[in-house]
Amino acid sequence: MNVIDQRIHQALDGELAAEAVPAELRHAVARLAAAAALLAAPPPGPAASLESRVMAEIRRPAPSRARRVMRWLVTPHSIILRVRPAWSVAFAAVVATLTLFTAGDQGPELGEHEGIAQFVGRFPEAQSVHVVGTFNDWRPGSIALEDQDHDGVWRATVVLPAGTYEYMFVVDGERWVPDHLEERLVADDFGRENSIVIVRPARR
Amino acid sequence: MKRWVGLALSACLALPLPAQSVRGRLEGRIPSTAIPAVDSLIQFAAQEGLPTEPLIQKALEGGAKHVAGPRIVAAVQLSLGQLRDARDLLVRAGDQPPVLPAEMTTVAWALRRGLPAPLVERVVAALARPPRGAAMHAVADLVAHGFDPDSAANLIIDAVHDGVPRERLLDVSTAALQQVQRGRTRPEALAIVRRQLPNLPAPARPTRGNVAGARRPAAPVPP
Repeated sequence: MNVIDQRIHQALDGELAAEAVPAELRHAVARLAAAAALLAAPPPGPAASLESRVMAEIRRPAPSRARRVMRWLVTPHSIILRVRPAWSVAFAAVVATLTLFTAGDQGPELGEHEGIAQFVGRFPEAQSVHVVGTFNDWRPGSIALEDQDHDGVWRATVVLPAGTYEYMFVVDGERWVPDHLEERLVADDFGRENSIVIVRPARR
Repeated sequence: MKRWVGLALSACLALPLPAQSVRGRLEGRIPSTAIPAVDSLIQFAAQEGLPTEPLIQKALEGGAKHVAGPRIVAAVQLSLGQLRDARDLLVRAGDQPPVLPAEMTTVAWALRRGLPAPLVERVVAALARPPRGAAMHAVADLVAHGFDPDSAANLIIDAVHDGVPRERLLDVSTAALQQVQRGRTRPEALAIVRRQLPNLPAPARPTRGNVAGARRPAAPVPP
């Protein structure tokens, strides 16, 4: 803390003549005297009474709702959260579990030359639908389609190396059906038609 | 250079294949009486430098569909003939022998999808550098939807010459098909897409939802 020289106090109080103030203190005395004079001066303009100032505030039109909302939004507010540590730990565990679960649901990581083939067929009466083709050595039963919402539309999403494949659906283990939604068809040389799927690399 | 490395690798993979592993793949999958004939056809293909996998797949397909042995042999023989035709077409169009197996398979696909051989030959000659698979399928897609074969081939060849990457040629045919769906005539659709070249709408990419439920088959076979 700064300590003001006693002689400055005396000079400001008029107890010490100005010419008696040492030269090194005169500048400080002058600045403090000017500041005191400024504080003592009346405020500029006509002095409003307390009553008139209160009435002016009352008469001012209330701000609109939007303005009040905006003001509330931009005004800092204090929020006090009282949390038990046990709940914090539980919350963190839930967040971690959800994160892991979501990450696990993102599907397989696709290789540079791999793509996605989606097989969709409408078989309302079917009990099972599989897709077989050159991607699985025409081995029935290895890729099953699913109808999770039981609307008769069966689906499977398969990761395959990029390329061209022939395939058919096998319904209920015995009925061979081409993919009617796929417009690429080719004779299978056994009296029927195979569908063609072109798998393009997902990373292009 | 890449071509010769590819051929050498293909030969290394193909030569020991017919003897042991082909029979292993066929046994229990096709009638046993058909195995010797199918096996010998596959041996012929390997000796001629033709791809053997399409023949194996044809035999396995017949077995899975419970087709009788003689019909399986006939279908494999037909596939062998298609591959020979494809090889000959490629050589006629300017490819230097030995022809790449993947190109033979591609041309065989195109012929099986109904493209006339002269048209396939023209596309091959216009696209001197493999791979030509996407170009062939793009032309075949357009022809299958009623486009004039020559006009369809011209569009795809123009797209390549305008700098459209090979892997995006299916987007060219898709763009033309979309124009038809919007009510354009086929000539109009081709003209619109040709004016847009080499710019194309972005292809649909697998969404996170698509990939989420995806799975790999137990043992996928390379195409």
